[in-house]
Amino acid sequence: MSIIIISSDSYEKGEEIAHKTALAMDYTCLGRELLAVVEAQCRIPRDKLEWALKASPSSWGRSVGLQDRCLASIQSMTLGELLKDNRVCHGLAAHLYVVGISHALRVRILADPAELARELSGQGDISSERALRLIDRQRKSRQQWSLTHYQLDETDPSQYDLVISLSQIHTDEAVKIIAQTAGYRRFAPMTYSLRCIKDAEQASRVRTGLLEAYPKVKVRAEGGTVIVETKGSRRNRLKKAAAIKEKVQNMEGVDYAEVHVKNGLFKRAP
Amino acid sequence: MAIITISRGSYSKGKEVAEKVAARLGYACISREVLLDAGDRFDIPEVRLIRAIHDAPSILDRFSHGKQAFMAYIRYALARRAQKDNLVYHGLAGHLLLKGIPHILKVRIIANLEDRIKSEMSREKISEEEARSLILRDDQERRKWTRSLYGLDPWDSALYDLVLHIHKLTVDDAVTFICEAARLKQFEPTPETRRKMDDLVTACEVKALLANEYVDVSVACEFGNVLIYAQSGERLQHKLQERARKMVREIKGVHHVEVHSGVPAPAQAV
Repeated sequence: MSIIIISSDSYEKGEEIAHKTALAMDYTCLGRELLAVVEAQCRIPRDKLEWALKASPSSWGRSVGLQDRCLASIQSMTLGELLKDNRVCHGLAAHLYVVGISHALRVRILADPAELARELSGQGDISSERALRLIDRQRKSRQQWSLTHYQLDETDPSQYDLVISLSQIHTDEAVKIIAQTAGYRRFAPMTYSLRCIKDAEQASRVRTGLLEAYPKVKVRAEGGTVIVETKGSRRNRLKKAAAIKEKVQNMEGVDYAEVHVKNGLFKRAP
Repeated sequence: MAIITISRGSYSKGKEVAEKVAARLGYACISREVLLDAGDRFDIPEVRLIRAIHDAPSILDRFSHGKQAFMAYIRYALARRAQKDNLVYHGLAGHLLLKGIPHILKVRIIANLEDRIKSEMSREKISEEEARSLILRDDQERRKWTRSLYGLDPWDSALYDLVLHIHKLTVDDAVTFICEAARLKQFEPTPETRRKMDDLVTACEVKALLANEYVDVSVACEFGNVLIYAQSGERLQHKLQERARKMVREIKGVHHVEVHSGVPAPAQAV
């Protein structure tokens, strides 16, 4: 009766462990298959969604809007699925947005460096120096990606309840450890933690609905009340707030919407 | 029958975990004892060894190499203890000092900064600000120390087999995981891993005996054959060769000693 979030430096290892854990616990495994649903519902091509989950932000800021929209759509759909409970989630960056939910067990899996280097290089044998360089480059790129989009460092162990390195511990043993931990009572859903994830899902759904028209929007939700923050010029502040409010109030599950439009630094009216 | 190294920050409950693991498995639990052994063997006051293992090297230390000699003594003392198996070491840098030994289970215990601050406040009867500053300074010192001596970041999860976050997981959960992992087949010593451990002890002893006189010396040992890698010039190399010849008689288990100059030391060298 919990949620297990698996993050890994190797997509293949994360996927393998997620599938085996789901099987061991009789849970549903939630992976990149969900992108097909996001594609159908949000009308964003699947290759763009996959690109958004991997691509480092460009130094010129190009395509940032599209990447944000892709990630917001994935986040919203994933959180919707996680509301159903008993899920093992991997490959959807959920470790970066399922935060502060007490019934979510967050696990990081580190692949054996030699295996990871082979996977990254796509070759059979490579020198150990080249392998280390490749791993380091990949780690830095993921670090930058997670910091840019979620302001969290995904390589920081304090983001997780458990980090397991597969250099010495085998996949099946890792699965056993995860299943045992998820079975602890403190990972069982509570009224408060269920409300937290429901609020996160609602905020994410509202933000996804607003992002195309209002790219800098920030959204919070608390039991049906949605608080939206954005930036705008002093002249258009009231008009913008009213437009957002109208749009949000028509969204499913919203009882009350509060909109705050702050002055944009470079958009101040003369 | 394993050796467990537990790395921890201050007030992370790592000591409590280590003591409980040792009690449950019936292993010896050591930390400061290694410094006492090193002090007795090489006639160095404990306080100087504590400073060597705790404080990051200053600019002067980098020229005098005094810290490197003390670290060689501590490493030898730890390797001697680990040679006997059934050990939980929760002192500093165990995972780095015993590198290359496959049957060592390397664990890191982490805790939330806020929880650590609360523990320090109640124990030391100090304000929140003071506690925060002390813990952050201590963490920074640890990081600087590991980076300057080993070029590694102790916060890097890839250095450990398991990283356990004491927050949602309790001390008892951590103890259970560690005990179960320690019983895995891959952490049982084999004749091959025991031989590696014996070679490490020999290499550490040679290094400790040379550390005071020769700086930048690395030592490797395979099947009792010792290889010394020196950066020194021709005159010093001649002296070193003389010294090395005497060592064959001085150290039990050494069959042969070779000195190499200007050759990069292998990764397993100490």
